Amino acid sequence: MSLMDALPTPRLRWEGWHPNVVLVSLSLIMLAAFWFFDVVSMAPNRIVLGTGYGALEAFGWPGALLATLLLSFIGILACQPTHRHYRALLAAVIVIMALMPVGLMASSYLLIDPERPQARLGLGTAYWVVLFVLLLCLVELRLRLNLTRIWPTLLLCGVAVVWWLCAAFGLETLALVQEFKARDQQFLSAVAQHIKLVGIAVSVSIVLGLALAMLMRRYARLQKGVFAVLNFLQTIPSLALFGLLLAPLAWLAANVPFLGQLGVSGIGTTPALIALIAYSLLPIVRNTYTALEQVSPETLEAAKGMGMRAGQRFWQVRLPLALPVLLEGVRITTVQAIGLTAVAALIGAGGLGTFIFQGLGQAAMDMVLLGALPILMLALVVDAGLGALAEALRPGGTR
Amino acid sequence: MIELSHVSKRFGDETAVDDISLRVAKGKFCALVGTSGCGKSTTLRMINRLIEHSEGDIILDGQAIDAYDPVKLRRRIGYVIQHTGLFPHWNVARNIGLVPRLLKWSATDVQSRVAELMHLLGLPVDEFGHKYPHQLSGGQAQRVGVARALAADPDILLMDEPFGALDPITREKLQDELAKLQARLHKTVVFVTHDMDEALKLADHLVVMREGQIVQQGSPLALLQSPADPFVESLLGGLERGLKQAALTRVKDHMTSMGPTLPSQSRIPGTFSLRQALSMMLRDHSDRLTVVDQHDVPVGELSLRRIIKEAQLDNGNPRE
Repeated sequence: MSLMDALPTPRLRWEGWHPNVVLVSLSLIMLAAFWFFDVVSMAPNRIVLGTGYGALEAFGWPGALLATLLLSFIGILACQPTHRHYRALLAAVIVIMALMPVGLMASSYLLIDPERPQARLGLGTAYWVVLFVLLLCLVELRLRLNLTRIWPTLLLCGVAVVWWLCAAFGLETLALVQEFKARDQQFLSAVAQHIKLVGIAVSVSIVLGLALAMLMRRYARLQKGVFAVLNFLQTIPSLALFGLLLAPLAWLAANVPFLGQLGVSGIGTTPALIALIAYSLLPIVRNTYTALEQVSPETLEAAKGMGMRAGQRFWQVRLPLALPVLLEGVRITTVQAIGLTAVAALIGAGGLGTFIFQGLGQAAMDMVLLGALPILMLALVVDAGLGALAEALRPGGTR
Repeated sequence: MIELSHVSKRFGDETAVDDISLRVAKGKFCALVGTSGCGKSTTLRMINRLIEHSEGDIILDGQAIDAYDPVKLRRRIGYVIQHTGLFPHWNVARNIGLVPRLLKWSATDVQSRVAELMHLLGLPVDEFGHKYPHQLSGGQAQRVGVARALAADPDILLMDEPFGALDPITREKLQDELAKLQARLHKTVVFVTHDMDEALKLADHLVVMREGQIVQQGSPLALLQSPADPFVESLLGGLERGLKQAALTRVKDHMTSMGPTLPSQSRIPGTFSLRQALSMMLRDHSDRLTVVDQHDVPVGELSLRRIIKEAQLDNGNPRE
């Protein structure tokens, strides 16, 4: 027993009253943001900067009151954190998220003059803060309810579907929706291109990374050299790497006709993939190597003593035991690659980054969001999905 | 049968095992005892070729082990290690069935063999078959370890400090179970331990090692009666040696027929050890005990004088 335990507890709380401080504070933050920041902004056209509107103007008295009640509800439930209350809290968080676009519809009705079709609605600071804090609530609730990663992900996917439906039917005035409607075909092909680039880069890295990790296990001398090179690659800024690849690839494409026919060129997909693979190798190789090495020597010794051949020991014992850590590497790499691919748009590789850079060029922040938000969503979905897979593969359900 | 003749193992300049020779007859239990780093584990692991010996011959059932394929050799030798080495990603049933599956037994054969072994080791299949190693207590995990080693019914069992990591009560329980199991199965066992009491309790043949060499080997009683040097004597417990020897001798073998005097009030079953008899005499302030059979019927008597005389006789001293 430490000295602190021996001292009488300061009477800061009432007997038997242990509120979940995290959720109570998060609830207060959301309330403050809702009342003190702009809830939405309205701009007469695409380029002009919008004017902000507070809670009362955006939602009207009834709406603002309802929102306040919902947000306080989280804080009130968190004061008595029982298992049932946590479940209710989870439901409340999801409901608030699903209701967020409904609030926007109300603002659109209250603020936008139907006579002016150019006018558009933007999300205000309060909206972003509340969304972010709700996600934090979700993390806290996941830990308290001891849920696996897959459940919050599924719930969020449900919320995303609701948002999508609202955006498609009834939120034509939202700037983001207008940006999307103006280029929906382009958007879909950009998403496809983004996923394609990430998919190819990560798959190639997994194959190369596994091979490198195996070589390093066989030839211990390789280890220092390989890690030195990969660490060095990781330190080159991504833009610089794209630039560095431009000249040699352009030269190759011009001088080796075969490669030129294959589509190799100084700009476009080839340099983007090379750079993405170069960046992805370090986390993959590092995690694969560590994963394979950390398997308990006693277990492997037992496997050998039982009469398992080298191949059987690898496939039946070492690899399955290494898999969770190995997948962790794949997860980190994929999330990283999703972000990096945005930059690849600069050298003409396409993907969602195109919108970000076009939007920046045209000073149209809503177009930047049209590129950035799906990237964020992709990263979250991949992160949760692979995390859940790694969790499910823990040996014998151990955590 | 296992025979090691003039076997040595060198790691570079260091000699881990130095010219040892020993023979374990079929169905016998041999314990290798010594302080840590004395080469006992290395000796054990040379038998299933986890470590290749540098010199000498190791003969298994009349054939040098170098002639076997190491993998096939290991599949016919059961192997139990201290930290069980169970595969954490497999459940108990799958762990136990490992070697039979490696030997390509049919699925139904593997299944019935696993059930048979779990029953033998007191682990009900319904309760434990689907558990994972991390859900087991230390004693249960080591039972699974033993079951896995016995799975393909090997003639030879190598055990490397199997009970070393267990608490004293569980350890004693598993020792008793192993003794019973051995009385039924008659495997040829080589058992490594640093716990002399464990070795005395289980072994038919005791091998004391120090710095890679065999200091002394023989039956537990023979070693207790005449330890070769002070090292062996201290391993055997110094002054406690007399009691340890008494613990290996049964009352039944030393009782005399009932004398003319009144039988003693203190009764002891004939299957108990002389050590227990001595303890009972101390407790009851009596120098005579009545020996009874399993139905509590007196069959003889045992006196303190008799025990002391027997000890002198066993040690080769003349009777008074």
